[in-house]
Amino acid sequence: MTMFSSYHIAWNRRLKSIFFNSILPVLAAFFLGAIIILFVGENPISTYYQMLSLSLFHLDGILRTLHVAAPLILTGLAIAITFKANIFNMGVEGQALLGGFFAGIVGAQARNISPTLNVAFCLFVGIASGMAFAMIPAILKAFFHVNEMVVTLMLNYAASESLTFLSEGVFRDNAAGYVATPVIRKSAMFLKLGRGDLTAFFFISFSIFILMYFIMKYTKLGYEIIAIGKNSQFAEAIGARVHRKIIIIMLLSGGISGLAGAGWMQSERFRYTLNFSGSPGLGWDGMLISLLGAHDPIGVVIAALFYSALKVGMSKIELFTEVPREIVSVIQGLMILFLSVRYITYDARLRDIFRRESI
Amino acid sequence: MNVIETVGLTKNFGTFVANDHIDFSVKEGEIKAIVGENGAGKTTLMSMLYGLLQPTSGKIFIRGQQIHFRSPLDAIHLGLGMVHQHFKLSPSLTIYENIVLGTEINAKIKPFGINISLPIIDIHKEKERIEALINEYGMHLDPDAKVMDISIGAKQQVEILKMLYRDVDILILDEPTAVLTPQEVDTLAISLKQLKERKKTIIISTHKLQEVMDMSDSVTVIRAGRVVGNVATADTNERHLAQMMVGRDVVLDVHNTDNNTSDEVIYEAQDISTINIFGKQVLNNVSFKLHKGEILGVAGVEGNGQSELVHVLTGLMTVTHGKVLLKGNDITNDWPDVIRKYGIAIIPEDRFAEGLCRDMSIEDNCVSGYLFDKDFSTNGILRKASIRSFCDRLIAAYDIRVADQNGNVSQLSGGNAQKIIIAREVERNPVVLIAAQPTRGVDVGSIEFIHNKLLELRSKNTAILLISSDLNEILSLSDRVIVMFRGAVIGEVLKYEMSRELIGLLMAGISTKEAIAR
Repeated sequence: MTMFSSYHIAWNRRLKSIFFNSILPVLAAFFLGAIIILFVGENPISTYYQMLSLSLFHLDGILRTLHVAAPLILTGLAIAITFKANIFNMGVEGQALLGGFFAGIVGAQARNISPTLNVAFCLFVGIASGMAFAMIPAILKAFFHVNEMVVTLMLNYAASESLTFLSEGVFRDNAAGYVATPVIRKSAMFLKLGRGDLTAFFFISFSIFILMYFIMKYTKLGYEIIAIGKNSQFAEAIGARVHRKIIIIMLLSGGISGLAGAGWMQSERFRYTLNFSGSPGLGWDGMLISLLGAHDPIGVVIAALFYSALKVGMSKIELFTEVPREIVSVIQGLMILFLSVRYITYDARLRDIFRRESI
Repeated sequence: MNVIETVGLTKNFGTFVANDHIDFSVKEGEIKAIVGENGAGKTTLMSMLYGLLQPTSGKIFIRGQQIHFRSPLDAIHLGLGMVHQHFKLSPSLTIYENIVLGTEINAKIKPFGINISLPIIDIHKEKERIEALINEYGMHLDPDAKVMDISIGAKQQVEILKMLYRDVDILILDEPTAVLTPQEVDTLAISLKQLKERKKTIIISTHKLQEVMDMSDSVTVIRAGRVVGNVATADTNERHLAQMMVGRDVVLDVHNTDNNTSDEVIYEAQDISTINIFGKQVLNNVSFKLHKGEILGVAGVEGNGQSELVHVLTGLMTVTHGKVLLKGNDITNDWPDVIRKYGIAIIPEDRFAEGLCRDMSIEDNCVSGYLFDKDFSTNGILRKASIRSFCDRLIAAYDIRVADQNGNVSQLSGGNAQKIIIAREVERNPVVLIAAQPTRGVDVGSIEFIHNKLLELRSKNTAILLISSDLNEILSLSDRVIVMFRGAVIGEVLKYEMSRELIGLLMAGISTKEAIAR
C-alpha cells in the first residue's frame, strides 16, 4: 500500500510537472497566437485546424512531418544531453551548419563509389566537423574554466559567417544563380522511401534517440552525466573525472549536431545555401524542442514530432488563408518565452516572492 | 518580563517534524541556553525566532506582541540579531568596514546652512563610531585590521559588534563555541557577561554542557524537536542535563578498549604540503603513519587544514610537495576512482556535497564511487538488477529507514543519509578508511551505530584515519591522536597520555613540549 501510494504521488507529480512545464506554455502560446490571428481577420480555429490537417491528417503530411522531424530530433538530443550535465552547448546551430556544409562539399566531389558507402562517408564527415568544432569550447571549458555558454553562442556566428564567405568564394557553384555550393552527387543523397518525403535519415535519427536513451538510463556514462548535472562536486568526489566527461559530452553533442546538419543536407537541401538551416535554424529549433521535452530523450522525440508538425502545417498555411507565415515565428517566440517561465518559478520560488512583497 | 515567548511553535519539513509544539520563554536581560543533541531542532527553533524560517504553526511573541517574521530584516527592526555558526564577513575588508557594511555613513557638507549628504563615505566618522563601540564593550580589536588576518574568536566578536551597531538588544548565537579553542570560549563567556550587564538578552544554542553551566542563567532542553525541560542553571548540573538531552541514563560513548594495532604500516603521508585556490599555504609538511588495525584520530579546531588534508588524501586536491604511500606504493595525486579501486574507502566531510547526491535515487547513491565493480557494471553498462539487490541488502543490514526506495536521498534524515555512506564504504571491508566527521549532525542512535561500525572494521584490521572536530569522538575511538594547527601537525598524543586538557592545548597551538611543561 505504501509502495503504491508513493508511486502514485511520484506519478501525480510527474504528470503535474509535464502539464505545467510543457503543455501549458504551448497552450498559452497558441492562445496568444490565436488573438494575433484574430487581428489579421482570420478565424484562429479554422487556421489551426487547417494547419493540423496539412501535417497530420493525410499520409503525405505525416511523412513530411517525420522527415522534417529527423534533424530536429538530433539537435534536440544534442542540446538535451549537455543540459542534463548542466553544461550548455548553445553552439548546436553552428555545429550543424558545419556538418551540413562539409558533408555537402564532400558529397559533391566523390565519384564512383557505392551509394551506401558515399552516404555513410558524407554523414561521417558531418559528424567529424561537428565534433571538431565542439572541441574548441570543450577544451576551453574543461581545462581553462571558460564559460562554455558564451563561447558556443558566439562561435555560431563565426561558423555561419565563415561558411557564407566560403560558399560565396571558393566553393561557389557558378552555375547557380544565387550563392550556393554545388549540388551533391546522387550517390550521396538519401533516397525517398515510397512516394512521400520520408528517407532513411529519419530511421538513423530515431536509432540515435534509442542509443541516447540507453546511454542515459543504463550506462555508467549516463549515470555520470546525470551526477555532473545534479552536483558536480559529488561527481568529482566519486571519481567521475568531470573535465574528461565534459569533453566527451561536448563531443557527443557536437557529433550529433553535425549528423543533423549532414542528414539535412543529404535528405532535403542537397546544396549549401545561405538559408540552409531555415528559420530560425535547426540548432535554435533544437533548443526549443529540448526545453519542451524537459531535456529527456523521450520528451525530445515527442516535442520534435509536435514541432515538426507545426512547422509543416504552417509552411503551407499561406496558400489557404490570409494568415502570414511569420505567425509561426511569433508562436515559436511565445513558446520559448512561456517555457522559460518555469525556471523562474522553480529557482526563485515565485510564490515566496509574492508573499514577501505583500508584507 | 518575557522578551520572547513562543506558544506551540511547530515546524515541519515534509513529513519530518523538526520542532513540535515548542513552548518557551526568555526573560529580559538573561542568558538563555538552548541545549540538545545534534539534530534535536535547536537551529530550526533559532531560525524561526530570527525570521529565516516560517513556522508551520504556533505563535511567537516579542515583548508581549504577537509577530510574524517574513525575513530577518523584520527581526532586526524589532531588535533581534543573530550570529551564525558560520560567519558572514567579508575577509578583504577591515573590521570597521564589515561592521558598518550596508549602513555606511555618508559625508555631509553644509553650504549656506543647508544639509547635503554626499555620495561619499565618511571614513573618519565610521572609524570613530566603531572605536567607541569596541571600547564600550571592552573588546580588544583594531578597527583597521583586515578580517582575513584576525583569529576566529575575533571574527565572532566582529559579528557580535555588527549586531550591537544595529542597536540589537536580543542576541541569538547559534553554536557560538563550535569553532573556538577552549581559551577563546573563555573570552566569549566574558563578553557575554558584559553584554548581560548592559541589559542585553542573549540566547545561545549548544550541545556542550560545560559551557551551559559556565555561561547561562537558564536552560531549555530540546530532544527530538520537543521541549523536555526548562530549568534555572543554578538548580541543575551537567549529569542531569545530559540525562534530559539523551532521554536515558547517559551511557558513556562506545569505547575503544582492546589493543588491536599491529606494527605494519599500511598507509603513510610523507611531508605533504599544498596551497588552496587563493595560493595560500594550507597544508605544511604533514606526515603520519597509519598501522593495520589502528584508528588514528586527527583533532584540531575546524579550519586548521583538516578539510584540505581529507581533500588531498581523497584525490580532490593535489599536493605541491610530499607523498602518500599505500603499502609502500606511491599513490600521491591519484584520482578519486583510482584511490577507491586500491581499497581506500572515503567518508567525506560534507555529506551532501561529496558523499551523496540528494537528487538521485537511493539506489544510485548506494553504488556511487564503486561503479567500476564488476557486480555493478560490465563494459560501462549498468547491471540494474544487481545494483538493486545490493541496495536492498544495505538497507536491511544497516537499518536505513527509507519511506520510498525509489525516491531520492533528499527524503532521508541526516542520520539515515549518513548511514548510506557508511554502508557503501564499510561494506567492502576496505584496507584503509578515511572517515571525516563521520557523525556530524547525526542523531544519537546513529552515532552509536556508526561508532560501533568503525570499531568493528578496526577489529577486521582496517586502518582508519578519523578526522573529527568532536573531541569526545576522538578520545573515545582513537588509538593515537595527531593534532593539527595552522595546516601542520603540532603534536601527537599516545593512548595512555590522552586527555582533554592536553589535546585542548595542542588545538590552541601550544606544542607538545610546552603543553607538558604546563
